[in-house]
Amino acid sequence: MSGVTRGGTTLAEPARSLLDPRLVIVTGKGGTGKTTVVAALALAAAERGRRVLVAETGREEHVPRILAPGSDPVGYPGCEIRPGLTAMRIDPYQALAEYLGLQLRMPALVSRIMRYKGFRQLMDASPGWRELITLGKVWHLEQQEIGKGEPRYDLLLVDAPATGHGLTFLDVPRVVVSALRAGPLRRHATWVEEMLRDPIATLLVPVALAEELPARETVELVARIREGVGVAVDRVVINAVLGCPFPEDLPDLDLQLARIPEDRELPGLPPVPVIASCASHLRSRFELNQRYVEEITRASGLPTQTLPYLRTGIRGPDDLEMLAEVLVGPADGEAA
Amino acid sequence: MSITPEQIVDGRRIIVCVGSGGVGKTTISASLALGGARRGRRVLVLTIDPAKRLADALGVRSLGNRPRAIPRKVLNALGVPAEGRLSAMMLDMKRTFDDLVERFAEDAVVRERILENPIYQHASDALAGSTEYSAMEKVFELCERKDFDLIVVDTPPSQHALDFLEAPARLLEFLDSRLVQLLLHPAFAAGRFGFRLFQRSARQVLKTLERVSGISFLEDISEFLLAFEGMSEGFRERAGQVHALLFGPESAFVLAAGPADESVAHATAFLDRLEESGATVAGIVLNRMRTWPAAGTTLPPPGQREAAVASLAEALEGEAEVRGNARRAAQAALSVLDGYAAMVQRDRAATASLEERARESGYFWRPVPEFPRDVHDLEGLAGIASFVFEAGEEKVAVGG
Repeated sequence: MSGVTRGGTTLAEPARSLLDPRLVIVTGKGGTGKTTVVAALALAAAERGRRVLVAETGREEHVPRILAPGSDPVGYPGCEIRPGLTAMRIDPYQALAEYLGLQLRMPALVSRIMRYKGFRQLMDASPGWRELITLGKVWHLEQQEIGKGEPRYDLLLVDAPATGHGLTFLDVPRVVVSALRAGPLRRHATWVEEMLRDPIATLLVPVALAEELPARETVELVARIREGVGVAVDRVVINAVLGCPFPEDLPDLDLQLARIPEDRELPGLPPVPVIASCASHLRSRFELNQRYVEEITRASGLPTQTLPYLRTGIRGPDDLEMLAEVLVGPADGEAA
Repeated sequence: MSITPEQIVDGRRIIVCVGSGGVGKTTISASLALGGARRGRRVLVLTIDPAKRLADALGVRSLGNRPRAIPRKVLNALGVPAEGRLSAMMLDMKRTFDDLVERFAEDAVVRERILENPIYQHASDALAGSTEYSAMEKVFELCERKDFDLIVVDTPPSQHALDFLEAPARLLEFLDSRLVQLLLHPAFAAGRFGFRLFQRSARQVLKTLERVSGISFLEDISEFLLAFEGMSEGFRERAGQVHALLFGPESAFVLAAGPADESVAHATAFLDRLEESGATVAGIVLNRMRTWPAAGTTLPPPGQREAAVASLAEALEGEAEVRGNARRAAQAALSVLDGYAAMVQRDRAATASLEERARESGYFWRPVPEFPRDVHDLEGLAGIASFVFEAGEEKVAVGG
């Protein structure tokens, strides 16, 4: 084998920008950097003049910490953490209280129900409703207007739960619609379902890593979305992809280092085998990454967008802006 | 003096390997199991969702829900003595739960009613941690059969720490709740103390739920619960036994983590919860740490870099492919080392707090280096085991 395989599998570009849909749902297993992608897109959208809402669905808030360090928790109603950028965490119980309030129009009754221990136990043990109420809240936010025909948010970004395949989350409205024969809940689930399946308005963005398990899971996710769930998906974002460790004209540097006699003294440097082993390790990991990028691209049948591995982690908004440019292009290029 | 991996594989009957997804928990579990087998024990590793090639290597891909022995010939090559055994099993959670229903249901009618209930079909894998409960249930069953000296349990990846351990308690609490009791036995509940107040709130809740959800939903739910009720006695007893086994002296917990910030944060939360729960925490295996291939490696300080580049360039001059370009190659090699050093430094800094905690609490701390290739065969597992166990053998980062 000669030379390091370089990245850049030739790919068809996804047809539209990640900032074009009304609703972008970012999904991926824990550890894939899904929240980083959400934060980068939110920042990019706000800086390009969009009114954007970021909704987190986990038990903790991350986006405000990344985009507005030191700010107070934004909680359920959410708040504007940067100009044009509202962040919130959708707490299912708070969303449920709001929903019941809207349905029953009896605040005292609703608060009594919510405080009732048996109700809490029933809800704690019941499956599915968290997903449904969370998506219902997203639907409700999507409907909000600040003037006639003028939506309150241009873009809604949802950081989907990291559990399971992220599919349960999107599949619940369909299950509810099929399990219930009638009633308001069925009607509302139908609305949510219509929003999710609108290919113009809604886009699902899977975030993967170029590693064995995340690659396999992502490919399965894409297949199942296409078969059953029916939410539009037009790309896979692959996060933390290692760059080539060697300059372009020295693709076999590790092999050359390995040929230096082992006992050769190099003042100030580690022993020759250590140097060679580090170089070879980085090359192996890089090539492995590339192989999984190709595997995801091939097996999912979708274009992939790769984000570079950042050795230092995300240090602040500048790093996010850099990642956002990889995903949606430079800010000034958009007007053209 | 901290507890060692050797002590737990020798002395415990169950090792529960916990940690967030993506840290290589399955690999760590399997190498703990291999370590036990090498020390002469009959070991089963129970995995949930292994990567395909690792599953193939363990031979668990094709056989659902039953232990499968790794052939003797393979074990010999891995240094497992004659008395040691290693088996693997992939848990099919839905099937385990169905089995449970079959076992505890009073009669065939109840069984059919549960298995055919739409709520059960849509939701048995989501109901109050029933999948996690199934995993624990299977461990108990296997433990009772005494085919194995040691069972290593690779837990389902759960974002929220110990959901799977609390699942049995939650399930029982739910079945016991007064709302459920009212759904099941409105007449019986009427005879209870505090009935009036209770009845008023519960009725209101039920009426509200009906109004919002549509009545059919509630009918299905109460039908499901009614069918389940017959099981709940057997269930309750079982859940208590499972809990006693896991938190008793026969079990130990090993935390698998990785050096990513998120993973360290999860690991810390896991430890908090484990310590609270009264479980025996034995130690932490930190997978995929970027470390120097040789201990004590240092790079030249700024003042000596030029000299270092010059000496490396001279050494590379003999290479046909870099002749005339040796200086650039030497500089590139040095920046490769800089990059490597940055990763090593990063991982060490990211995990320092966890290591400190392990030392203070008397947990073992075993960093396993990142290997050049994915670990997906038994050789790779042996490589990991060599870093987890203190055997006098050479530690090898196995390539592919």
